[in-house]
Amino acid sequence: MLKVDNLVVNYGYIQALRDVSLEIKENEIITLIGGNGAGKSSTLMAISNLVKKTSGTVTFDGRDISRMDPDKIVSLGIAHVPEGRNIFKKLSVEENLLIGTITNKKISKKEINDRVEEMFVIFPRLKERRKKSGGSLSGGEQQMLAIARGLMLKPRLLMMDEPSLGLAPIIVEEIFELMEDVKKSGMTILLIEQNAMLALNVADRGYVLQNGEIVLTGTGKELLDNPEVKKAYLGI
Amino acid sequence: MYLLEQLINGICQGSIYALMAIGYAVIYGVVGLVTFTYGEIIMMGSFSAFYYFILFGDNLFFALIAGFITAAVVGIVVHKVCYQRFLDAPRYISLICTIGMSMFLKNFATIVFGSEMKGMPAFFAGKFIEIGTIRVGYMQLLIIGVVIALSLVLTIYLKKTRMGMKLRAVSQDKKAAALVGINVKTTTLIGNCIGCGLGGVAGILLGVYYNSVLPTMGGMAGLKAFSSMVLGGLGSISGAAIGGVLIGVVENLGIALTSSGLRDVFAFLLLVLVLVIRPQGLFGKKGN
Repeated sequence: MLKVDNLVVNYGYIQALRDVSLEIKENEIITLIGGNGAGKSSTLMAISNLVKKTSGTVTFDGRDISRMDPDKIVSLGIAHVPEGRNIFKKLSVEENLLIGTITNKKISKKEINDRVEEMFVIFPRLKERRKKSGGSLSGGEQQMLAIARGLMLKPRLLMMDEPSLGLAPIIVEEIFELMEDVKKSGMTILLIEQNAMLALNVADRGYVLQNGEIVLTGTGKELLDNPEVKKAYLGI
Repeated sequence: MYLLEQLINGICQGSIYALMAIGYAVIYGVVGLVTFTYGEIIMMGSFSAFYYFILFGDNLFFALIAGFITAAVVGIVVHKVCYQRFLDAPRYISLICTIGMSMFLKNFATIVFGSEMKGMPAFFAGKFIEIGTIRVGYMQLLIIGVVIALSLVLTIYLKKTRMGMKLRAVSQDKKAAALVGINVKTTTLIGNCIGCGLGGVAGILLGVYYNSVLPTMGGMAGLKAFSSMVLGGLGSISGAAIGGVLIGVVENLGIALTSSGLRDVFAFLLLVLVLVIRPQGLFGKKGN
């Protein structure tokens, strides 16, 4: 459903991505792994068109979205849960969820409220804090809120940037379980993760990025068994 | 009694400052940048009312609407010239561009409208209500009423409407706003227009309160708006409103006790004092 071809992104003189190509099929979980500065976040930002592409194309369902405004891309059904939990700190938890659907004028108030309640079933902790401001939540709760906000869109493709960053292991586990549930509901997921072991275990396929280039690709299991991946990212 | 009357004068003048500061805070929020053109926006609003009175007669209500629209249109021009072209450039370029825009508008106004002071019609001249021995002018009540009404409308707009929520989201985090599908460019433009419109209305109130308009009136007005916003805490709308009233009251009580030439001294002395003690402003949060 999503295809990235020969993507190049430069930050000034620094080449963040050189010639990255990848493909995501309907209802897959794809993961990008790689060290710091390998270009994982840049890839997602380029898909969302939050950074300028030097060259390369991104197509979604055969439609070229390389130069489309970020908000239009969201309305096509691509939700991006950014790294560092860009939630709205001064809006309440509930408002943060509501704003996830703000650009979709077609859905009714009732439908929106149903979705909010749905999120509260998945994340009961958010329900307890529905009136609190986003900034008052703990790191784990903020991450849940960011994911929930992405899910409010009912996107076709959910892109998640380091959802486990700085979280307690038990919450990380919850989030990964959630991902498998989300996949069952028919969504496609593009996941960036520093915890390569966890990511490759849930992923159908994975890409390994190094210095802005894709150096390896394969199914999750193949990559887990790959001696180079083991040495560099799994620490075995 | 004299001081009490000065207090009322201060609240009235302060509410004009408050409206200017609220508009400024809205702009600062969505654009994420201080603007130096705001004083000239206030002046343009004031002049639009001046010409409205000449062309269509002395209807204050419609003049306020005309002022809002004129200032919002000037806001669009400022946005197109100063912000939109430099979205990816370093922020100081937009900042310097607003300084240039301010000079241009001031001189444009001087050439087109003339450099001499112009008189505004007097509304409710000599009419006042007496509470005990204190007199409160109709005009003063009207000004305070208009400011309170507009503040309420703005609050409801920001809290209850779809667009209001978008504006708040863009003010807090532009990247996150884009990621939930908000068109950041259009939202910023609309926020800028609303902020400028409020500034235009404040300019008219200033003009009718002092019965005069002047192409160079924007300089001090813009500075007072900025000071009020900083005093309340950058970007906080309620803070800006309280900062404005506070500056108005301190100014008027200050000149009541000394001489009227020291008006601006009191305003800025208050600002400096508060910033020395609370650098984040009265209602600002640390580290913002």
